[in-house]
Amino acid sequence: MTFVMALCVTACVGVSIYLLLGRDLKGVAMGVFLLGHGANLSIMAMSGSPVLPAENATAAESLKAAPILGAHVPSPALANMVDPLPQALILTAIVIGFAVMGFLLTLLIITNRSTGTLVVDRLANEPVSTTRTDTRAEPFLPSGTPS
Amino acid sequence: MSMALAGFLQLAVVAPPAGGLLLAIIAPVLAGLATLLLPRAAVTARVVLAGAGPALAFVLVLWHLGAHGVAGHTPPPESHHASITHVADTSGTDDLASQVIESSLSHASDAGRLAAPPQGTAVIEWVPDLDLNLAFLADGLGGFFALLVAGIGVLIVLYARGYFGGATEQARADLFRFYPTLGFFASAMLGVVLADYTLLTLVFWELTSISSFLLIGWNRYDKAALKLAKQAFFTTGLGGMFLLGGIGLLGYHTGHWRWSELLQHANDLDWSGGTLKAAFLLMFVGAASKSAQWPLHYWLPGAMAAPTPVSAYLHSATMVKAGVFLVGRMLPLFVLPGEGVGVDIWPGLITWIGAITMLYGGVTAVNQHDLKRIFAYTTVSQLGLLMAMYGLAGFDFDHAGHVVAAAIDLDITQIANHAFYKAPLFITAGAIGHYLSRSLPDLHGAFYKFPAICATMLLAGYALAAGPGTVSFQAKELFLYAIYHAANGRPWLWVILAMTIATAACNVAIFVRLLTTLLGLPGSMGKADHDSAHDDDHGHGEDGHDHHHAPEPGLGGALIWLPAVPLVALQYIGGLAPGVWDRLFGRFERFGYYFDHGVPSLLYAITHPGVPLYASGVAIVLGVVLGLSKLLRGQHIDPHDAIYPGVEAASVGLGRGLFAVLQNGSLRVYLTVVLIALMTCLSAAAWHDPGMIAPIGAEAARAFELPLGVIVGLLIVITALLLPVFSSRIVRVLMLGSCGFTVVAMYVVYQAPDLALTQLMVEIIGVLLFVLVLRLLPEPPQGERALPVGKLWRAGLGLVVGLAFGWITLVCAHAQPEALLGEWFSQYSYHGPAMIDAAGEKTGYERGGGGKNVVNVILVDFRGFDTLGEISVLGLAALGVWSMLPGRRRELCGEPPAQANASSSDPSTAEATLS
Repeated sequence: MTFVMALCVTACVGVSIYLLLGRDLKGVAMGVFLLGHGANLSIMAMSGSPVLPAENATAAESLKAAPILGAHVPSPALANMVDPLPQALILTAIVIGFAVMGFLLTLLIITNRSTGTLVVDRLANEPVSTTRTDTRAEPFLPSGTPS
Repeated sequence: MSMALAGFLQLAVVAPPAGGLLLAIIAPVLAGLATLLLPRAAVTARVVLAGAGPALAFVLVLWHLGAHGVAGHTPPPESHHASITHVADTSGTDDLASQVIESSLSHASDAGRLAAPPQGTAVIEWVPDLDLNLAFLADGLGGFFALLVAGIGVLIVLYARGYFGGATEQARADLFRFYPTLGFFASAMLGVVLADYTLLTLVFWELTSISSFLLIGWNRYDKAALKLAKQAFFTTGLGGMFLLGGIGLLGYHTGHWRWSELLQHANDLDWSGGTLKAAFLLMFVGAASKSAQWPLHYWLPGAMAAPTPVSAYLHSATMVKAGVFLVGRMLPLFVLPGEGVGVDIWPGLITWIGAITMLYGGVTAVNQHDLKRIFAYTTVSQLGLLMAMYGLAGFDFDHAGHVVAAAIDLDITQIANHAFYKAPLFITAGAIGHYLSRSLPDLHGAFYKFPAICATMLLAGYALAAGPGTVSFQAKELFLYAIYHAANGRPWLWVILAMTIATAACNVAIFVRLLTTLLGLPGSMGKADHDSAHDDDHGHGEDGHDHHHAPEPGLGGALIWLPAVPLVALQYIGGLAPGVWDRLFGRFERFGYYFDHGVPSLLYAITHPGVPLYASGVAIVLGVVLGLSKLLRGQHIDPHDAIYPGVEAASVGLGRGLFAVLQNGSLRVYLTVVLIALMTCLSAAAWHDPGMIAPIGAEAARAFELPLGVIVGLLIVITALLLPVFSSRIVRVLMLGSCGFTVVAMYVVYQAPDLALTQLMVEIIGVLLFVLVLRLLPEPPQGERALPVGKLWRAGLGLVVGLAFGWITLVCAHAQPEALLGEWFSQYSYHGPAMIDAAGEKTGYERGGGGKNVVNVILVDFRGFDTLGEISVLGLAALGVWSMLPGRRRELCGEPPAQANASSSDPSTAEATLS
């Protein structure tokens, strides 16, 4: 099962890197979300397989129990129950990922409004190139020095 | 009680208190800062207050030396005296040098070292963990330098009053700014020469570099001066870095961080391995940069852009001698007289560097017109001579089966000699430049207009030429003796003797030209050379001080040359009455192998002729001829002046090139670099630990244990891979959404209901938001599709990084930790630990989380602050969105902002309901 998860992580992270390296900012935004999925799945997989070990498995139950204590969880041992801690971490991550998504989408709108383009190279080049020309003209002269 | 007092007194004898010297060090800067409180018009009070700082320092150092003695100074044994006197008395017509060799042979046992290792003061703790504390070492070298710095400091304070004037608003502003900076320098320099902790020396060393920078760039509106200040700062500052390296190596290798301790253990240092040699080399580079040794000497003539008081103080008498001082400090450490040389490269390296500097400085000095440049190059030359003097000290030599001590004598006299004529030369050069011109050809007959200034300059110039009657003559003789001794058995050292004669001839030539020009005699630097010279006068980044001032009447005006007089007087006292000189300075001398009873008198030197005396004579004759000849009358442009601008341009160019390559503004390049670095590290890790590969096979064997999981996993993979295939952005968003929903399914498989619910909410809102936002954004320009090569490259990198992350996941999941934190969380999620009474019966449970959903308990209880942070992030993001969308805000102006916030706050409320 973990191997399947590893494949999912590979697919999500790989595609997200492909998108992040692209020229379109919208693709970059999608890449960020996909990267979040990949990271969450990776943490999930690290908690181990949800399949019950063969000696504990019954005909009715082949999976470990959800981390909710109750009548059907006789003892809070992780042999029979999935690890709750990665779930807690991922829950936090999902919510923060959502906040980042909202922020990022807003940034897209703002960027588009102020520059009229969402092509990464163009966005990157224009402002930086102007500052660089400025630096070249007088690299070390302190500002405010009368000439 | 009396025992305790006696113990205390004994302690006081063993380690003198540090407070007095500390006060002496900070007195100048405190006085300088105090002058800032005076009104600008109070010129006299300002001068008095500023001068009180170094004067107090002078008195305190003197008091310390009087109360506790010169550290490490022990009077030479009586028998030693006797034998010298005896030899001197019975000397026939043999030359002096061979007699003193004989005399030192007669007491070869104590020829090794006259002075005991000096004792530092008590320690005032500063940073004990770094071996950086306040303790001072007022031995002969340090104590003498401290008096020199403080004493000349007082004179320079007075001179600055004469130089800047006091009547105009500009002059008052200059003085207002000048004295604190000068005090800063004086304190830093006192610190250098008195510090006992090696690192403390370094701290003050760098402070002198900073103050020198401030003073060279005194004229803030002169770009040339600023450049020269930068040049001096970087050259000496980088030298300071070398010094740091050397001090560090020395300290870690020996375990001693105090000069006094190092000197005490000089005989039992571990010389094996190259560590101490490397330490010496690094420290010497630092010293050479500070003392303007070839080829790093270029900064010193450049530093003449500073006002003349600064040139007279920092760049001739004190700061530039810091390197010489350091080498003098290291001498007893690295050179073990009578026992061979600790660092075998010492004599060869220092002597040759010093000699080259000496000759180059001397020849270049003749070839200048600007007085300050002339004296700057003679300073370089003299610093080279002082270095060579310490270098020669490394030569000990075999004489009739005895190893005779190193060739050095009366180093303090040499150092004092230079300070006592060079500072007056600068002072008077500044004075004459103030009234007339600093260009020598312009000064034809200046003596008749300004007799006092010119007479002082000529008297100091006579000392520069090492004329008989000045202590300079004897100092030159001492140096020639040192060469003569060291050359015994080393014929190639005669080259150094020739270089010294040539340098001395250059100095004599400079004096001859000064004399003829100022007096308007034939053979002067006449008006003939004038026209070609004058235009260049302002081209060297001079201090911009206006020439052709009217002489200021009264004492204030006289202060522009008067401070030179006591220093010149000391030169002639030393020359004509060496007994007085010895009473004044003899107690500071550390080395007196041949002349341990003091400076030889002029008569003594003349009546005991030998190679040194003949060499002096040759130098004087050659010098007079050269001075009167037409040779070397141009203005030599020092090719070393191009070193610093070249290095600076190269490093700035290199930096700019690297910046253009590395910081090209393309996010994709940055990301690629980061990812490639990450992959390299991971490959290195796998290479290092092949066990990281094994989990792949083990987990692949168990891949199909859960068919449902395999199906969901495949769906995730397919949806993710299909995402970039479609070009329509709506389809892309839908693919993103489907991927998210299959991830939800995977959470269900993994028995994580909370995650599934939350992800479901987020996914629904996310897809909706994305579709809404996409409507506002433009389509990507169709004509500018990326090249297929770029796509392939992206896909390849994506594949590699993806595989790496999958692999990391497998490696982590395969690990078998001893205990899982989750176990603890689930155990105490509802109950706390069981309470057991004295009888061993379980009576109940302590307080636990009180919830049955372990994930929720972790979020709101065990890791509650984490969740608080998460909610804060959400709130901040919502605020950010709100503030960034002014248009949207205006639309909602009439209504409360609930609608805009609703979308953002949804997941938190969703989570709250879940919790």
